Amino acid sequence: MHHMTPQHRMRAVIATAALIPMLALAACSNGAAAKTGNPAPTNGVLTVGLLGDIGQPPDPDIYYANNGTAIIINTYEGLVQYKNNVNDVQIAPRLATSWTVSPDKTVYNFTLRKGVTFHDGTPFTSAAVKVAFDRRIAVKGGAAYMVEGVKSVDTPDDLTAVVTLDAPNSAFLDELASPFGPKMESPTGLTKYAGSDNAQTYLMTHDLGTGPYMLTTAQTGTKYELTQYDKYWGTISPFKTIKLPVYSDSSVLELAYDKGDVSMIAAALPSSALKKYSTTSYSTSYFLPTLQSALITVNPSKSFFATVDARMAFLSAIDKKTLVKQVLGARSEVATTMYAKGMIAGGADAQSIRYDPSIMKSYAKKASDKNLVIGYATGNTNAQQIANILAAQLIADGINATAETFTTSTVFGWANDPTTGPDAFIDGNNGPDGGSPYLWGHVFWDKTGGINYFLCDNPKTDDLLNKALATGDKSTYVKAAAAYESMGCYMQLSYNKDWVVAQNWLTNVAGAQNLGANELDFSLLGIKK
Amino acid sequence: MITSLAKRLGITVVLLFILSGIIFFLQSISPGDPVKAYLGANASRADVLSERHRLGLDQPTIVQFGGFLVGLVHGDLGVSYRTHRPVFKDFATYLPATIELVVFAFLLAILLAVTFAFSAALRVPGSSFYRGILLVGATAPPFLLAIGGIVLFYQQLGVLPASGRGPDDRGPTGFLVIDTLVNGDIPGFGSTLQHLLLPGLVLAIAPAISIGRILRSSLESTLSADYVRTARSKGLGRGRVLIKHVLRNSIGPAISMSGLQLGFMFAGVVVVEQVFSWPGIGNYLASSIPVSDFPAIAGVTLVLGTIYIITNAVVDLLQAAADPRLVA
Repeated sequence: MHHMTPQHRMRAVIATAALIPMLALAACSNGAAAKTGNPAPTNGVLTVGLLGDIGQPPDPDIYYANNGTAIIINTYEGLVQYKNNVNDVQIAPRLATSWTVSPDKTVYNFTLRKGVTFHDGTPFTSAAVKVAFDRRIAVKGGAAYMVEGVKSVDTPDDLTAVVTLDAPNSAFLDELASPFGPKMESPTGLTKYAGSDNAQTYLMTHDLGTGPYMLTTAQTGTKYELTQYDKYWGTISPFKTIKLPVYSDSSVLELAYDKGDVSMIAAALPSSALKKYSTTSYSTSYFLPTLQSALITVNPSKSFFATVDARMAFLSAIDKKTLVKQVLGARSEVATTMYAKGMIAGGADAQSIRYDPSIMKSYAKKASDKNLVIGYATGNTNAQQIANILAAQLIADGINATAETFTTSTVFGWANDPTTGPDAFIDGNNGPDGGSPYLWGHVFWDKTGGINYFLCDNPKTDDLLNKALATGDKSTYVKAAAAYESMGCYMQLSYNKDWVVAQNWLTNVAGAQNLGANELDFSLLGIKK
Repeated sequence: MITSLAKRLGITVVLLFILSGIIFFLQSISPGDPVKAYLGANASRADVLSERHRLGLDQPTIVQFGGFLVGLVHGDLGVSYRTHRPVFKDFATYLPATIELVVFAFLLAILLAVTFAFSAALRVPGSSFYRGILLVGATAPPFLLAIGGIVLFYQQLGVLPASGRGPDDRGPTGFLVIDTLVNGDIPGFGSTLQHLLLPGLVLAIAPAISIGRILRSSLESTLSADYVRTARSKGLGRGRVLIKHVLRNSIGPAISMSGLQLGFMFAGVVVVEQVFSWPGIGNYLASSIPVSDFPAIAGVTLVLGTIYIITNAVVDLLQAAADPRLVA
């Protein structure tokens, strides 16, 4: 019989004792969270925590990722933008005050705003429009496609720009309004700092925009800082400086917010923190409209889903209502349409697949291959939970279902060979570049788009999308959606909102919400008096 | 000595060549696609294919490996697919932060280890409590220890920061401890030490115990040796006996363990840097892996490999210095 030596006993005591302070700290931290926060700043500094570095240089012709749009939309401006904080897509003026579109959607005539200057003092004129478009094509970033169809930019005077496209494009205004859309950059600055790479090196740490803020600090992985541009044409906010410290860990970001070192967090907290911030006394939670959704895509190259019947059976087994309630909570609502919320007025693009678990049950009995893998991206806790719940449901139906995590680069690699991917993939939060149904359908349904992970494609859908792009006809978009739904490769699970937590003294958070960017126009924020 | 160093250099080159080959091979069979990280998640298929061609990623693996080696010889590790900057430039930003953290943690570990060992070997009253605290800390996983430390010292007590390095780095070295002193920024120096303390402690505790135990064992063994008793009986002071006779003859194994632990610390920074948002190569690597940023991953691996090899070489030299009977 084994007896513990005094040393072993001591180690066991120490190991047990190690748990006690940890548990005490955990208990203390929950209690302490309700009592802190920070008072309104008197030094004009707003601190907005970033979860993870922005990932790419803050160059508007390169940046095509996530949280860095906070910097892009506050330092640069495009000709148009999306109207803030509305539930549907509305184009609004920005550097263009008005515009006309030719009936054939090839000529866009913009009247530009007077009295705008770039941060280097250069006046903004129509000449900058062509320079911006040309640079975007030369740099050839991910969003260069938005101006590749531009045949010419005429500038009859300093405040008029006439853009002619080489083919009809009803989504062109959406592309210009997109947070990833072409932004006006100082032609003087682009020439001065061109170097050998079209000023890409310069714009890693500086900006050449017209926006309410200038990029004055860019330390990758550490922090970014924006300083107010005192000659800005628009609203001058009480915040002279926006500090954007980078946090690698969401728990530490939360602690920093609770302590008051961070005044606002946008689109970075997990759903598990919803309950906590619904009751904190110093903080307000906002659920703001976006174009983002949770999606489920099915892989037709896998043997389980080789037939449309199998794919439809699987999608019929998905109880969207329960999943949204259990996992996503107040930040989401059940999706009922094929496109993002509000893209097709009146919801004519309704999803027709109804929840009926009996279909999958009877299919499972007949299926020869009962193995199924449901994938989700590493770090996406919501998608992970959804995948686990779905897998559990399918196991009850007699399917050997498992949930598996995949790194971001692996997810992107499936398009090279879809057979290497899982049977289905839960995308916890994704969205198009802009508010046009074309931008949604093209990116998710067209195999040449960017987020059709498994290359499930219907040529009829592609054809209808291209037709709709030329005319803007919503009924054609609806037909395109119906054609794609019949493939059984896709289901929109939820419309996701941008969950922002902000200290109570911060005002107009909802009014500052930039649809499409999931970030805020900082110049529109204020301090409660 | 020179022959030995030359031999070590040769072995280092061979090891790094093998290491880079392994990384390349693993990358070539990885299903990940790094081009999307370069262009952006929504980039079209056509753009991805075009960029892959421009980056040379559609070339045969052996051709890519050859290009990589040629670049390496010229000091070019390529451009990070994520940051779009040359990897060497990223290292200039991130590597000093990691080296500073690890060196600080290492010195802290040595201090803790020496006090651990001496207090135990000399039976200092009350030292078992101190050793108990260290053992508790070493038992907890680094992630938990880090979060626990942040909750206690940052959230509850408000005495230490939770993230970052502190003041802005105005150069010239990239090591804030040095740069703040060079620039006469005394508050900045203090802030730098404050920011180093918690992540340094988390990184130091487990190595401190490992080194301390070895040292303690050596000390206890040496203290009971005849020559030590002789030295004491000759009237030599306790301190002098400890430093001149006991420590010198006990330190060999501890130096070996220290070298080993220093290597482990460089590996351990990934978790610590993530929790504390420390802008070092651990964080850089953690951000690069999910997007298959091969130039960055290869660069970090080679740098860490080189540091590990150099560290072991230095340890061997120190051991030889401590014990001339050993051939360096």
